[in-house]
Amino acid sequence: MSNPSAPRRSSPERTPSSPYLKGLKCRECGRLYDLAAIHVCDFCFGPLEVDYDYEAIRRVLTRAEIQKGPNSLWRYKHLLPVASEPTIGLHAGMTPLLKADRLGKALGLNRLYIKNDTVNHPTLSFKDRVVAVAINRARELGFKTVACASTGNLANSVSAHAASAGMNCFVFIPHDLEAGKILGNLIYKPTVVAVKGNYDDVNRLCSEIGAEYPWAFVNINIRPYYAEGSKSMAFETAEQLGWRIPDQVVVPIASGSLLTKIWKGFQEFSSLGIVDAHPGLKVNGAQATGCSPVYQAFQAGRTQFIPVKPKTIAKSLAIGNPADGYYSLDVVGKSHGQVEAATDPEIVEGMVLLAETEGVFAETAGGVTVACLKKLAEKGAIRPDDLTVAYITGNGLKTMEALTGYLPEPVGIDPTLASFRKIVNPS
Amino acid sequence: MTRLRFHMTFPEERVKEPILYEISQKFRVIPNIRRADVSDHSGWVELELEGELPEIERTIDYLRKRGIHVDPLEKTILEG
Repeated sequence: MSNPSAPRRSSPERTPSSPYLKGLKCRECGRLYDLAAIHVCDFCFGPLEVDYDYEAIRRVLTRAEIQKGPNSLWRYKHLLPVASEPTIGLHAGMTPLLKADRLGKALGLNRLYIKNDTVNHPTLSFKDRVVAVAINRARELGFKTVACASTGNLANSVSAHAASAGMNCFVFIPHDLEAGKILGNLIYKPTVVAVKGNYDDVNRLCSEIGAEYPWAFVNINIRPYYAEGSKSMAFETAEQLGWRIPDQVVVPIASGSLLTKIWKGFQEFSSLGIVDAHPGLKVNGAQATGCSPVYQAFQAGRTQFIPVKPKTIAKSLAIGNPADGYYSLDVVGKSHGQVEAATDPEIVEGMVLLAETEGVFAETAGGVTVACLKKLAEKGAIRPDDLTVAYITGNGLKTMEALTGYLPEPVGIDPTLASFRKIVNPS
Repeated sequence: MTRLRFHMTFPEERVKEPILYEISQKFRVIPNIRRADVSDHSGWVELELEGELPEIERTIDYLRKRGIHVDPLEKTILEG
């Protein structure tokens, strides 16, 4: 057994930089590090974040400069941690921002928008944003192999991007995961490693592998870069709203990273003068009741949360000990937002409501967001005229099993006009 | 010798107990705390455990049996 904590070569070859990237910085103690494949401060164990040279960015970044860029998240490349021109994941991002009038009417909200990442490229979830950034950075750092531990969206996206980049790919799963869950990944030909153990064992093993092997483990040693991709959700929202920040956002919480990065994205845009500052922005979190450590802490008025064993149909949000749980509570608190939670039946109702009003088929995480949006509207936390954006992060085709037994059966008729008239009887 | 990094969460009923002292007496491991936050209701500690790997494993088993939630420093890595 080697020593994961010992200093080691953090990336195979190099640490390329750009005029806009200063280094990595500890979120807790502020110590500075090179732009390498590291994620934790050696001194205080705090998480590392990318440190940008905002003065240099301010000199070049304008709305016009952004609009000249590609129709993807790479139009915001000055604020993403990739040093050279991206070559992989070129079509991620710039998903539709839908004016959701029919859903808004059902919820009593007059200015509701849906950020629709169910159609993100290439694997139909918001993970395509973070993985596109992670894989480009991993290549810059000289990695030949990428890895992740995932039972769903993340595995899909890492496997697809690795395939398109010609990189080796390892996906770690618990051994007792239903075969169907991982089937969609196999088409990309990653090496899927089924670990004989429970979820805790998989986490522990991946942490050790992440420290041991010269691989780009996207949500371990590449996490500071990977997480930054989520900011593009905020950048696009602001641009698509006509260069403004909304009054309220509703964001699903899994690790908590998406929520904190959406906040960060809006702060960056306003501090750079791309949009007017909006101190009234409220950031609201959405969790499934069956895995709601952040919601429980929020309800109890605590800044600490207790890890939980997930038990929910919203598998893509089932993170019992979220890495950014503390920071997401912090963002919700300082923006005067709220955290809500939805039960499994409420999640399905949310999926159905979104589909029947807006024609958007979201996975269970989308059901969580819509169900929590409904609760926030009902209790007046979101007012009817608040400019509100709800983030829908994955496609419903990925979680069809959640709908079993919830939807009406087809109307059966004989192949005759008489039978059609008698049974269907359209008015 | 191996050094591994962990995030440990203590439930309310364990907050007042000197559990890290206990493990350093019961097992041949050296706990090295880097960050912590303890309140009346719960607490967490981020630390490094140094020792032979089987001894670290026994320590983790013991902590879990005492109701301490033990994760790698990165917390939940396995995502949906």
